[in-house]
Amino acid sequence: MSELLAPDILMSIITAAMGVATVILLAALGELVTERSGIWNMGVEGAMLFGCLIAYLVMAETGSPVLAAMAAMASGLAAGLLIGVMTVTLRVDHFVTGLGFNLLASGLTLFWFRSYVGGGKPPSYSTINEFPVPLLSEIPVIGPILFDQHLLTYAAFLSVPFIAFFLRRTTYGLETRAAGENPQFLEAKGLSVATRQYSALLFGSALTALGGAFLMMAFADQFRPDISGGRGWLAIVAVIAGNWRPVRTMIAVLIFAFLDSVAVHAQGVGVDIPYQFFLMLPYVASILLLVMIRSRSGQPAKLGVPYLKH
Amino acid sequence: MITITPRTSAGWQAQLAAYVLALLLGFSASALLITASGASVSEGFGALYEGAFGSWEAVLQSLVAATPLIFTGLATVIAFRAEIWSIGQEGQMFAGAMCGYWASLYLGGAPWLIAIPIIILAAMVGGGALGGLCGWLKTRFSVNEIISTVMLNYVVVYLLSYLLAGGPWTAEGSTSYHQTPVFAENFHLPLLVGSVKLHIGFPLALAAAAVCWVIIKKTPLGFEIRALGFNPTALRFKGVNVTRTVLIVMCLSGALSALAGVSEIFGVNYRLRGDVMAGLGFTGIIVGMIGGLNPIGAVIAALLFGALANGSLYMSVLSDIPPSLVPAMQGILLLFFLSASVLVRYSINIVRPVHV
Repeated sequence: MSELLAPDILMSIITAAMGVATVILLAALGELVTERSGIWNMGVEGAMLFGCLIAYLVMAETGSPVLAAMAAMASGLAAGLLIGVMTVTLRVDHFVTGLGFNLLASGLTLFWFRSYVGGGKPPSYSTINEFPVPLLSEIPVIGPILFDQHLLTYAAFLSVPFIAFFLRRTTYGLETRAAGENPQFLEAKGLSVATRQYSALLFGSALTALGGAFLMMAFADQFRPDISGGRGWLAIVAVIAGNWRPVRTMIAVLIFAFLDSVAVHAQGVGVDIPYQFFLMLPYVASILLLVMIRSRSGQPAKLGVPYLKH
Repeated sequence: MITITPRTSAGWQAQLAAYVLALLLGFSASALLITASGASVSEGFGALYEGAFGSWEAVLQSLVAATPLIFTGLATVIAFRAEIWSIGQEGQMFAGAMCGYWASLYLGGAPWLIAIPIIILAAMVGGGALGGLCGWLKTRFSVNEIISTVMLNYVVVYLLSYLLAGGPWTAEGSTSYHQTPVFAENFHLPLLVGSVKLHIGFPLALAAAAVCWVIIKKTPLGFEIRALGFNPTALRFKGVNVTRTVLIVMCLSGALSALAGVSEIFGVNYRLRGDVMAGLGFTGIIVGMIGGLNPIGAVIAALLFGALANGSLYMSVLSDIPPSLVPAMQGILLLFFLSASVLVRYSINIVRPVHV
């Protein structure tokens, strides 16, 4: 156990945690905006999984991370559109839609992966490199943690204040929140609830799929079934535990990412506690977090309630 | 112009038409999927049918494959009827198999007539406890049951991985097998038809479906389950202890899922290992939903999916199509069914403009 607390190991755990956090944070920010619009989207895990597979296929075929990220985001848009048709247009129960979508994603990605690989060995590629910020990454302790990361990691953390600003200060952000709090009001002003919910879902799912693409490109050199491993669900928990606020959501994400990173390092360092117990940590922590943080004051009033236009 | 308005109820004709349409669309989309992967649709579906129904043996084998799906499907029906969105069937099934195995370790040479009921009971207690835990988290701490069940699925799978690789149930000498040795014969579920391992789990599953039907339709608990889905507040005002109902539903759902684990481990594989159960819980969710959250519907859906799963093995031998076509098909069918079941709740009218 004490091996994990050695300064260099701890340093390496925290540095790696920032990368892991990127995956969950992108999904959580997307889900935050989606939920603020009133859609309780449970299909995060599925959208992430699609993003993983599409990014893998594009990486394996072209080797271009930019193309892979863009293709993954396109798959996210398609996922958001499908979930939107089900929840906004057809008004199927939000939970049922999300669960169904996840099962679809799990089955489809498995089939596409297997038929792509055929009988052979799945192609692999080299993972993308970090992008150290000149000078800043030289600072001891803080440098490697904050400034020797992937470009997407900087982008993900920088987008936290932007999302907060969008939701609080921009017209469209306020209208998006109104769709989740008081859709009749929005409709009375002659503004479409459906448009705002669709755009939130498209944005959110694209961001989630981008998170999946990052998971593929930075941490794995080939796809495997259900590789997202519950990180989409952790994003949903982060939004709830963060009481639907961007900064608090980010803090919850950092907790999960840290534990995830501890689990990975525990296997490498050879701690005497079986590694499976470390792997359980983020999942157990997510339940404990919800037990401890029970304030739901930020929950949109009409979250998960299908809106019927009058 | 065309108007779409909600209506209170749809006739059975409309519902049947919607289901048939969903089935046709689902199979068409699956055919597209096969074409996109570069294989022949007729060969694929032909082999699938042949493997599922081609011979008497194949039909019986399909029933064996359907057995755990009936259990996890029923677990879904019981929970979802109460609008408790538990997706812990996977973890509860694992927990059931693990507790059943744990009990068997103390049963030594007991005759099967004693050993099997104890194993089944232990499994149901294990799965029920795990379900109950999520019910307690929901009622006591308002932790959303979707979240708690998903997370505990992962925890249970890792726990089994520990027990079989490094933990007390590790097979002699190696951590790499991830399975226990084969059970003694007194722990095998008795067979009805030996050649295909059709075990007593199948009639048990049918009996469980009948019991679920009676509970939902004919008992006060069933009324509470249905009412919980409609209006929990009204139920509370009626003096019903909603907390108690939620806990009972979750325990019941967990115990049913556990039986899927028993039938797969003690009826088919005769050794505890995780990979043979993987996915049966999630497929049960699809089975329950496509079955219209009705126990009898779930049995029919389970028979269909059991046949597909069984046929897919044959298909993968005869063609280049991987057996994972079936989980993909299940997901596609589910989304079409969900859309269809909602569409029948609207009446679509063509209104001619009236000229005054």
